[in-house]
This record gives sequence, C-alpha cells and structure tokens, in this order.
Amino acid sequence: MSVAMISPPLSEAETDAGAATLAKAVPVLQLVDVRKTFGDFAAVDGIDVDIREGEFVTIVGPSGSGKTTLLRMLAGMEAPSSGYITLRGELINDVPADKRPTCLVFQSLALFPHKTVGENIEFPLKVRKMPAAERKRRALDFMRMVRLPEHYYAKNVMRCSGGEKQRVALARAFAYDPDVLFFDEPLSALDYKLKKVLEKELKDLHRESGKTFVYITHSLEEAMVMSDRVGVMSRGRLVQIGTPEDIYTRPATRFVAEFFGEVNSFPVKRMPDGGWTLAEGGPIIVAPVDTAMGDTATVIVRPETMRFVTGPSRADNLISGKIYNEYSLGSRMQYQVHAGERIYLVEVARAAASGLVAGDAVTIGWDARDAILVGD
Amino acid sequence: METRSHIQLRALVKVWTAFVVFALYLPVVCGALAGLSKGRYFGFPIRIFSTEWWEKTVASLEIQTLVQNSLLIALIVTLVSVFFAFFGALAFARYDWKGRRLFQKAILLPIFFPQPVLGLALLLWFNALGINPSWQTAVIAHLVWIVPVVTLVIAIQVYSFDPTLEEAARDLGASRWFILKEITLPILWPGIWSGALFAFLLSWGNFPLSLYTAGVDSTIPKWLYSKMVAGYSPMVPALGTMSTLSAATLLLAGGLVITLLRRRRRDV
Amino acid sequence: MSVLTASHEEAAAKPSHLAIPAGLRAAAPVILLLVLGFLAPLVTVAAYAFATPKSFDVFRSFTLANFAAIVEPSNTVWTSFVWSLSYALATTILLAIIAYPIAYGLNRMFGKWAGLVSVLFVFPLFVSENVRLYGWVLFFIKNGVLDGGLKWLGLAGGPEVLYTPGAILFGMLYVYLPFMLFPMTLGLAMIPKDLVDAARDLGAGRLMIWREIELPLAMPGILIGMLLTFVLGAGAIAESKILGGQSVITIAQDIEIAFTYAQNWPLGSALALLLVVIVSGLALFILSRLDLDRILGRR
Repeated sequence: MSVAMISPPLSEAETDAGAATLAKAVPVLQLVDVRKTFGDFAAVDGIDVDIREGEFVTIVGPSGSGKTTLLRMLAGMEAPSSGYITLRGELINDVPADKRPTCLVFQSLALFPHKTVGENIEFPLKVRKMPAAERKRRALDFMRMVRLPEHYYAKNVMRCSGGEKQRVALARAFAYDPDVLFFDEPLSALDYKLKKVLEKELKDLHRESGKTFVYITHSLEEAMVMSDRVGVMSRGRLVQIGTPEDIYTRPATRFVAEFFGEVNSFPVKRMPDGGWTLAEGGPIIVAPVDTAMGDTATVIVRPETMRFVTGPSRADNLISGKIYNEYSLGSRMQYQVHAGERIYLVEVARAAASGLVAGDAVTIGWDARDAILVGD
Repeated sequence: METRSHIQLRALVKVWTAFVVFALYLPVVCGALAGLSKGRYFGFPIRIFSTEWWEKTVASLEIQTLVQNSLLIALIVTLVSVFFAFFGALAFARYDWKGRRLFQKAILLPIFFPQPVLGLALLLWFNALGINPSWQTAVIAHLVWIVPVVTLVIAIQVYSFDPTLEEAARDLGASRWFILKEITLPILWPGIWSGALFAFLLSWGNFPLSLYTAGVDSTIPKWLYSKMVAGYSPMVPALGTMSTLSAATLLLAGGLVITLLRRRRRDV
Repeated sequence: MSVLTASHEEAAAKPSHLAIPAGLRAAAPVILLLVLGFLAPLVTVAAYAFATPKSFDVFRSFTLANFAAIVEPSNTVWTSFVWSLSYALATTILLAIIAYPIAYGLNRMFGKWAGLVSVLFVFPLFVSENVRLYGWVLFFIKNGVLDGGLKWLGLAGGPEVLYTPGAILFGMLYVYLPFMLFPMTLGLAMIPKDLVDAARDLGAGRLMIWREIELPLAMPGILIGMLLTFVLGAGAIAESKILGGQSVITIAQDIEIAFTYAQNWPLGSALALLLVVIVSGLALFILSRLDLDRILGRR
C-alpha cells in the first residue's frame, strides 16, 4: 500500500504537467485473459485490457454482461478464476481489498449510516491511526475538494441529499488515497438533471486529482460524457474498447451500435462484384471497410444521419415510404417511416421538418459514409 | 475474497454452533432414554429398553384428561390469537395512525415480562374479580402473552406487503371486504399460518402461566412439574418425550404447509 | 381515478363511524386484551402492594409496611432480589458472548443451511422449559447419563453439579439462549454487506470493521436480545426449582410463596411491584431508543 498521500486539491498547472508525463508510462492496471466462472457459467469470459496512469476508462454493458463481477475482481472482492491482474507490474490476483491501493465507490455508496459526514471521510485515515486533529484537517480539505460546505462536517450522513451523499462517498474514497478509483454506477439512482451535473463534476475531479478512474455503467451516454476510453461489454467479453469517438463512429459489432441507442439496421448480402445488397433485394451503397467481412453482414444507419430527400437534394441511398408517426425530442424531431415491410427511424432538426405529418408520402435517404458495415 | 484466517474463523463458528445445538438437544435425548428404560429408577447406561412406560402413559386416564385440557386450551388460544393478531399486525405495520408507535411498544411489554410474575399477577386479578381459576382463565393468561408474539410474527409478513396493491384494487372498484378476501388475506397467508403454528406450540408447551392460572385443571407441563418435584416416575420423561415429539411433528407439518404456500405464491 | 372511488371518498368525508382511524380500529381487540389482561392485573398488584400486610383489604387501606418489611435487615427477602438480578445480569453477559458467533454464522456463513439451523434453535421454545430442564437433571444426576457414562468408561464418575447455584446459572443460559440469539441475528441482518465490503476496501482490518461498523449497526438487535434475556432471567423460577433444588431462592419464588403458601398477598404484591418497576423501567428506557419499523423491516 502506498503511504504517501496526495494533497488535495492539486493546482491546475501541476496536474496537467503530471498527467502529461504519466500518461506515457507503463499501464497502471493490466488484465490478461481474466475469467470468473460460477459453476458452468462464465460471468467474465476472458478480458484483456491495459489501463494507463491517469486515464478515465468506462466499461459499459447491459445488466448481466459481467461488468460488476469484473469490477469486484479489480477491487479485490472476488478472486479471478483464471488470468492475471497486475497493478504497476505486480500480480494482485489474490490480494484482498483491504491490502490493495484501490478503492471502490459502491452503487449503494455504502456510507456508514451511524457516522457523520466527517467521520465517514475520516474512516480510512482512522484505519491508518492518524491523530484526530490531523484527520479533521484533511477531511475538511477533501470536503472542499468535492465542494461540500464546511459545516457539513458534523452532519448526519443519512440527512444529506442524494447529490451530497455522492460527494461524501467520493471524498471518502479520495481520503484513502488509492492508486485507482473504481465506480460501480454510483449515479444511477439520481434524477437526470443532477446526474448531468455530477457527471461533469466527476470529470473535473478526475482532471484535478490526476488519479486513474475506472467506471462502470449501463448508460453509454454517461460513459461518453466522462471517459477517455470506453469499453463495451457483452456476455462476459469486452466487445470493443476505444475513445468515445471510435465507439460512436466505428462500432465494431451490431451489439455496440445498437447499445448506443436506436439505429436502423439492415441485414445485407455480398454480391459477386464485392458490393452489398439488402437481404430482400435492392443494392445498398456503404462506406468501404478495411476489416474482413463474411458473405453476410449488417448495415447500421443512425436515425440522425438519415434525412428527407426533396427537390434537388440527393443521397447515395434512397427509399420511398410513408410517415407513420412523429415524436418530438425537443430541438429535434423523429419520424417513423414505413416502406414496404420495413420501418425506418429518421431524426432531423425541428426546422428541417416543418410541415411533415403522419400519412405524408416521403423519400428518405442517407449517404454511403454514414452506412456502417458491421460483421455478424 | 477468502483469506486463510477467514476460513479458520468459519470453521470455528461452525464447530461452536454444532456444539451449542448438541447441548440444546442433549437433555431431550436424555429424557427420551429415561422414558424408554425398564425399571422404576433411571440409571445409565440403560440395561433393558422397554416401551412399558410409554404404554402405561398412553393407558392412563389421568393423562388423557391432561392431553384433552392442553389440546383444548391450545386450540382456543390459536383461533382467538390469530384473529386478534391479524388485525393487531395491520395496526402494527400497515396503517399509519397517531398511536402506532405507542401501540408497537405497548404490545412488546407482555413479551418483555417474566411469565411467572405475569401468571401470579393474573391470579391475583382473577381472585379480585371473584373468578375461580380454571382452564378458561388459563386461556386468557396464554392469550395475554401469545397474542403479542403472533402479532409480531404476522407483522413481519405485513411489512413485505405493498399497500399500493390495496389502493390499486380500490381504484378498480373493489369493496373493502372484497379487497380483504382477494388481495390482503392471500398475500398474508404464510404469515398467518406461521402465527397460528407459533400460537399452538407456545400454548401447548407453556408452563409458568398454566401453573398459576389453571386452578384445579391441569395441563401436560403443569402435571409434569408436579411429578418432578413430588417424586420420579418414568412416566414423566415418557410423557415429556411424547409432548416434544408431537410438537416436532406439528412444526414439521406446519413448516411444510407454509413452505408450500410460499413456493406456490412465487411460482404463480 | 374512477367515479366509484370518488363517490366513496365523498361518503368517507361525512362524519360517520369511519371517523375512527383504521389503525385504531384494527388495534382495538389487542388493546382491549392488553388493558384487561395485562394492565388491570398490574394495577391490582400495585393496589395490593399498599394494603395492610397479610390482609385482603385492597383499596381500603394505604400503608408502606410491605415495602418496609422488604428492606428490614432481619428479613432476608432482599437477598432473593440480589440473587435474581445477579443471575439475570450474568446470563445476559454470558449469552451475548455465546450467541454472537452463532448469530454471525446465521447471517454470513451458513448460507442455505441458515434456515434449518434457525429452526433447530427455535424448536426448543415450543417444549416447556421444565421438560428440558428435567433432561439436564437426568444428565447430571448420580448414576445419570454423565455419571453413569463416565463410570461405564471406567472413570471416576461425574462431578456433583446438580442442586448448586452454578446449575441454576447453567439452566438459565440453556433456557434463554433463543431469546438472545434471534434478536441478535435480526440485528446483524440489518448490516448491509456493502458497508462491510466498503470498510474493508478502505483498508480496515477485521477488528476495526467489527468495532466501527458491525457492532454499532447491530446494536439495536443486540440490545433487544440483552433486554429480553435480562427481564426473563430476573423473573426466572423453574431453573432454581428443578436444577437448583432450592439452593437459591429467586425473587419470583418469594412472590409465589407470598401469594400461595403464606397467603400474604400484600407482601407478594410489593415484591412483584418492585420487580416490575425495575424491569419495566429498564425495558421502557431501552425500547424508547429503538425504531421498531427499522428492525422489523419496514422500508
């Protein structure tokens, strides 16, 4: 365990300099073919990933994808069935949670209900037998860091609001001075507005502290806002890991693309000339891909890259259909368009959709560069 | 994550628990052995096993009366206490009303009260009222202690009952009686059965309250006690063992019914 | 909301028998039972406690003579109080230590066996205590299971423990174990596992977790168990009669004697009243500090 403590909050200049040099260093956390099986069931089925110093990595996946099990192994609450987990080059597979310089922020937050805000934050310092006066001084520092007012020090933690509890849990985790912080979707119970505020605050804190964050969530939207890299998990495997930009524009599989939200997806077949055709017939023009594909694949087109084609404008792919229903999304409008057996979702800016109502005959189109070809 | 010391601790806790369970049942086994040994006086190791004293106990007219008394008291106590406790549990755990906190605490007092003293106080009270103690007064005495216990047992089930179900039923036009019959009772059945089982068994085995409030009528525990202090007869451990075995059988059968009820509810 | 419900609410708004809250109506039978079967006897006892000694002049005389008799040095009844309260205290402390590992195991270690183990501990509650205590007499008595068994093995035979003050304490530990165990188990079940995991993750060792997290959070349940054990132990009578062979007279036994053989109801009532005041004072003090909804699981 590292005994040295960071002194919060670090100044902006220091952090930037530190982050820049550390980012190039060896991975702080390295996973090699990590597996966890319960009987015949593989909750985590072979994961390889390197997490760099100071990175903010988010693992997203639906419930049951194995992300919580993965996190519990990283935090030391479960031992992997096979594979290696190393922290700064040292194997930590069987090092229990209390002996690891890592700290988990629980989904439930796991605040100690019989302790005050201050006592909660001081808990890891008390474990290290720090004198009371010093503990209090540091607890107040951490409270400032997470933007909790000083008079909250003696407040009953159960009387805090949801957002305040988040901050207490964060301050307590920072007080432990871990090398890596883990988060088990701590924001999931909060309302949308508060969640948005705290997501950004968390990213700011990450920047200010220079710590490595590993965050799991089922919300890809949350992952996008905060992370340097996003990994998508499905059935115990890491399907894709990359920057938010990568995941959004170049999903590796149909699962990743669909996990992001509503998409139009078409099963396609390869033609002898190397082009692609819809399964039910009709050619489809797609962006060239550099990965190997089989004879069948799926084309993904996001609703927001589809548009209505009128007058002189044109698109690489065109389909005629009829508007079935319309949905207002605030600044944008979404339309359900029926064409033959198929249903398409088209999303356009409100201004671009004036006058369209259910029952209107329309032509929808999209360009080849927006048609993402993914393997099955 | 399992560490070595944790595995050791687990083993230690298991051994300790097994030891305490052993000690808990050791006297029951001793009683069973004594009731099954031939001869007027108990000695260990037992030289000759025989069912002689069991047969004598079953044949005894005096003991038949005892069993009838104990059964009658336990049955009445069960019926009345389940009725009282069902509504008591709703008041305890379901309804929000002004006196609820006070009621919750008041109901615990008879449980948190030494039973011999309660029995003696009731004896005094019955005397002051000019009532001669008999098995009927014993029923009252049992109720004072057993109704609160059964209330708690049912209340635990009521806590897991979602009150919006009743509201939803009312919103769908159901009457109060219809809601009770179709929604509340079926969901609370496992708790009610557990409560009934507790009531019967606690009454069946109760000694201190019966001792002072049953007057000239006797129950199994009361009779056993009088023989224990007055002089040993192998009929004492024999009857004690029979009483224990019938309680165990009932607990097993009742437990089975309640498990089936719970399972059916989960499967449907 | 339907039309039916609306009309229903209108009816409820009118003054009628519905004005009594539903909770109070549901509680009424139990309240009636407690008033007639618990409160009234206690009031009678209190009234008798101030009546002329060895008389039945309840409500017609007022005297403190009964209490004076209790504290009088020539009377040894106060020793019964000391014995009973000491036994109750010793039982409470020892049982807390005996039951804690079992309660911990039931919550954290026994897994799917926890239900069965609980039933094994519940069942003795349904066998009257005199039957179970008598089993111990058969175990400890000369030529009984222990003595006879040891002799059969060629050893010297068992120690003479029956009819001693120690046997009474043993009997009390035996009879009151479930009363300590179950509230304690309930108390330990109130600790979310996340909190223990979090404390460990923050570096706390087992002792620290126990002292800082588990013990304070399980305290309500442990307190209820200790209170129950103490109260029941203070009123114990069967243990001394069956296992103690009158080597120690407990306070409940003194009350019994005054009520039955001695026919001195006022003295018995005074003793009972003193015991009740001590016991219920303690009970109310502790119960007033606990939130029953939280312990029994209302969210």
